[in-house]
Amino acid sequence: MIWVARIFSTSIGKKQLMAVTGILFLVFLTTHLLGNLSIYGGIEAFNAYAEHLHALGKLLVVAEVGLVVALIIHVTLAIILFFENRKARPIKYAVDKSGGGGRTLSSQTMPFTGLLILAFVGLHLANLSHHIVDQTNRTIFQIAYEVFANKGILIFYLASMVVVGLHVRHGLWSAFQTIGANHPKYMPFIEWLSIFFAVIVAVGFGSLPLAILALK
Amino acid sequence: MSGKNINLTLKIWRQNSPEDRGRWEIFQAKDISTEASFLEMLDIVNEQLALAGKEPVAFDHDCREGICGTCGCAVNGRPHGPDRETTLCQLHMRRFQEGDTLVIEPYRARAFPVIKDLVVDRSAFDGVIQAGGFVSVNTGQAQDANNLPVPRDDAERAMDAAACIGCGACVAACPNAAAMLFVSAKVSHLAVLPQGRTEAARRALSMVAQMDAAGFGNCTNHKECEVECPKGISISNIARLNREFIKAGLASKE
Amino acid sequence: MQLDSKIPGGPLETKWDRHRFDLKLVNPANKRKFEIIVVGTGLAGGSASAALAELGYNVKTFCIQDTPRRAHSIAAQGGINAAKNYPNDGDSIWRLFYDTIKGGDFRAREGNVYRLAQVSNLIIDHCVALGLPFAREYGGLLANRSFGGAQVSRTFYARGQTGQQLLLCCYQGMMRQIAAGQITMFPRREMLELVTVNGQARGIVVRNLLTGEIERHAAHAVVLATGGYGNVFYLSTNGAGSNVSAAWKAYKKGAGFANPCYTQIHPTCIPVHGDYQSKLTLMSESLRNDGRVWVPKQAGDKRPPHEIPESERDYYLERIYPSFGNLAPRDISSRAAKLMCDQGKGVGSTGLAVYLDFADAIKRLGRKVIEERYGNLFQMYHKITDQDPYEVPMMIFPASHYTMGGLWVDYNLMSTIPGLFALGEANFSDHGANRLGASALMQGLADGYFVIPYTMGGYLGGTPLTEVNTSHPAFTEAEAAAKARTEKLLGIKGKRTAASFHRDLGNIMWEYCGMGRNDEGMKKALKLIADLRGDFWQNLLIPGTDKNFNQSLERAGRVADFLEFAELLVTDALARRESCGGHFNEAFQTEDHEPLRDDENMCHAAVWEYAGEGKDPIFNKEPLVFENVKLAVRSYK
Repeated sequence: MIWVARIFSTSIGKKQLMAVTGILFLVFLTTHLLGNLSIYGGIEAFNAYAEHLHALGKLLVVAEVGLVVALIIHVTLAIILFFENRKARPIKYAVDKSGGGGRTLSSQTMPFTGLLILAFVGLHLANLSHHIVDQTNRTIFQIAYEVFANKGILIFYLASMVVVGLHVRHGLWSAFQTIGANHPKYMPFIEWLSIFFAVIVAVGFGSLPLAILALK
Repeated sequence: MSGKNINLTLKIWRQNSPEDRGRWEIFQAKDISTEASFLEMLDIVNEQLALAGKEPVAFDHDCREGICGTCGCAVNGRPHGPDRETTLCQLHMRRFQEGDTLVIEPYRARAFPVIKDLVVDRSAFDGVIQAGGFVSVNTGQAQDANNLPVPRDDAERAMDAAACIGCGACVAACPNAAAMLFVSAKVSHLAVLPQGRTEAARRALSMVAQMDAAGFGNCTNHKECEVECPKGISISNIARLNREFIKAGLASKE
Repeated sequence: MQLDSKIPGGPLETKWDRHRFDLKLVNPANKRKFEIIVVGTGLAGGSASAALAELGYNVKTFCIQDTPRRAHSIAAQGGINAAKNYPNDGDSIWRLFYDTIKGGDFRAREGNVYRLAQVSNLIIDHCVALGLPFAREYGGLLANRSFGGAQVSRTFYARGQTGQQLLLCCYQGMMRQIAAGQITMFPRREMLELVTVNGQARGIVVRNLLTGEIERHAAHAVVLATGGYGNVFYLSTNGAGSNVSAAWKAYKKGAGFANPCYTQIHPTCIPVHGDYQSKLTLMSESLRNDGRVWVPKQAGDKRPPHEIPESERDYYLERIYPSFGNLAPRDISSRAAKLMCDQGKGVGSTGLAVYLDFADAIKRLGRKVIEERYGNLFQMYHKITDQDPYEVPMMIFPASHYTMGGLWVDYNLMSTIPGLFALGEANFSDHGANRLGASALMQGLADGYFVIPYTMGGYLGGTPLTEVNTSHPAFTEAEAAAKARTEKLLGIKGKRTAASFHRDLGNIMWEYCGMGRNDEGMKKALKLIADLRGDFWQNLLIPGTDKNFNQSLERAGRVADFLEFAELLVTDALARRESCGGHFNEAFQTEDHEPLRDDENMCHAAVWEYAGEGKDPIFNKEPLVFENVKLAVRSYK
């Protein structure tokens, strides 16, 4: 197993682990969004979705453990890469200017949007996770409504969804590039998908608290 | 070829030796013909400095026609200056306006320590090539050249990558000072040709290991390298390196 | 001076085979006991370093650049010749040999040139095996094109970057041997002295350009692959660092210098545009395959090109040389351009340019085809001149490009100093008085890959060599000489930079010993050079010290050598009482202004021997014997 450590301690190996775990989060985001869109079917549908999800039992635990492991890998590597990259340029340029067509707001802010997302995930779990919040006497809808009724939290949620969109905008195509999926025929599509998916995530998740508040 | 003359303010990084901390100096470049190249403009400034009893600004250069890869520094934050697919020696002063201020500084990367003024040590690149950027064939061993057909498109793609001049602009442009475009260009050049396949796995692994050891940063796909590469080398080569790396890491015996 | 060319006897075709058989071999286990110094990392030095290291010798390689991937071989655009005859168009080793001999105006050795043509094919094989991405046909096999003065398509190419790709092959081969411990690389080193012990070359003294330290390096043999001296003209297509210093130091230690007056002026360069100009850029000769060269028929016609009607244009190459037309060899095309400009028909703001027009080719083939063939060259031209060659004709003018003269070497590529070899452009051996297009790359690699590996063994295996290390008095002496010279240069503390002296020297050389030469001008040049050299040693200014990285000091040392060498070049040009190839003395020409050779009295290589400071060099000659070709008037009409 030495070879595994050797591969994943290289710069490309680390980046590829980032990419694979990132893609896992993208899949998670997709299912999470699809599930939560049940809110548009009304309160009953939303609560029913939550119950079905919990009924998965051990399968859900496996998914949760998987996500936590992926999160630990993604965050740990991000921190390592961040400091390695800072070290690689000890003296900064006096003028640091992009050539245009290169780095984007999204690509430049990845470490910071990542950190914000981490904070968001913490709050999100504290507010809504069935492991943390007592759900015996309340439906998931009631819990969510109470959370979003707090204006501060609502604004933080909405802002966080923009941040997630920003992170995904660079993360998606970048993950494909890093695992080597770049071909002149389909790379333009992946780049387009990055933007499209970013908008969907930001608008889709962002609309949920508003929909919940509107339903009461 | 009708030129005019312009006046510029140059803010140039001066550093006497690798150990020196370095400082900025300001010079006035007067009556510079817009037909002159950027390096010729530095020649003029240096001639004036020498006559004034000061040390000229050290900068690397040789062919002055954009192919040897010797020259290069950052001009207003852009390696090789503001023009696309242009080396510093091919940049002409007609690109600038009367009264412009140019901030001229060396490539900044831990793996490229400054030797003097604008001259940096890029020998880390040689180390990466030594790790596997070649085909292990001795002189005299080869068969007739036409015994091995290579699809034209493969040869063209190899040439696209092989056009790298090793100038280091990719490292200089990368916010992380990563050398992935350089390394991937060599890996790609040899990986798409049948001659290079034999050693492809070993090459990918050992060149990447050497790249890391030399202190370059990690690729985060900012694409700045592709934008600044004077030879227009595409980041699709980086993707190919990533593929070669997976193949080598998971499927080879290396 | 003994000049034994060591050309083996017998039929031309088997000379090299027999010679290889006669050469002594070094047993594989003994190779590692030998150290070889290679100076220069262009095609010749790079390939020699790699090939010798592959055999098991310990190679120490030196270059002035920061890495051995930058030497000016990299700038060669057009291609490399080989007698493969893949296009089935009548080529053969014999034809390549004959074309090269004829192209060189019958001033090269038959034996050397035949060997060059023989090994040309091996170069292509080897470089393809190393992964060089030569241009290919759709069937996957190698593409060829015709190039500069050849009537067969024998040129292999990698876009407009053939030199670059070949040099990278050498470089990668070297990197492999560095990793294997067979080559020790010394970049950013400048050779200051050659060290001889018992008359044999046994080492060099170099300056570490980064630290200023003087270093001694000993070896069993020394290989110089330090390129040509085209920068003696200041403005040339050579790289800024290209210089004559290493060869000049060898000359002063006793190596004969042959035919320095053979300098090639390349016809298709971007014209001079200002006195701050630092170099001239070559536009590949391949452009002449489709471009048509013309000037206005009327002298002094200053109309822009598109206003000059077809009937008032003189496509002079097509007119004078109907069978070769725009593809006439370099020396001929260059002189024709000069002639036109001398007659007042030159174009552009300086009147020192002719048009190279692609309008017809674009009409015939379409812009796309032209773009595919020459896109990068057109782009380069556009960048430099700010004019779009798709719209207006290019302006071109000849410029110093390559030097056929160099250190005299025998068939083994060894100079008159035993153990000192000279390869590539640094020697004089294969191109005679003029080099054909796409032949420089061929010669550099032939010397390095396929000649020196054999002849080096012959020398080391057949020569008694004593143990010599760097504490030998010869090294102490050489180091002291190098240091004294540097101190002398730094001690002048005058008022002019080396660059300005170099520019003046270039003006003298171009004016009086350039494309067209005459006795009066050359005699004047000798006086002007001596005066300039006197001024140099009185009035030179070098900022900084010798204790660190100092580009002004580097430049000063090289200019000092050029100032001495230039005199030898002019002396040789004066002594050659004929016109041939790159040497054109106006006193020797036909009625049509074609060069007039004197095969009876001048069919020799002129080899100059250093006689000491301030003394006239000693003239020696190696007669050229032609047993297989008939000396003919070189006609391209």
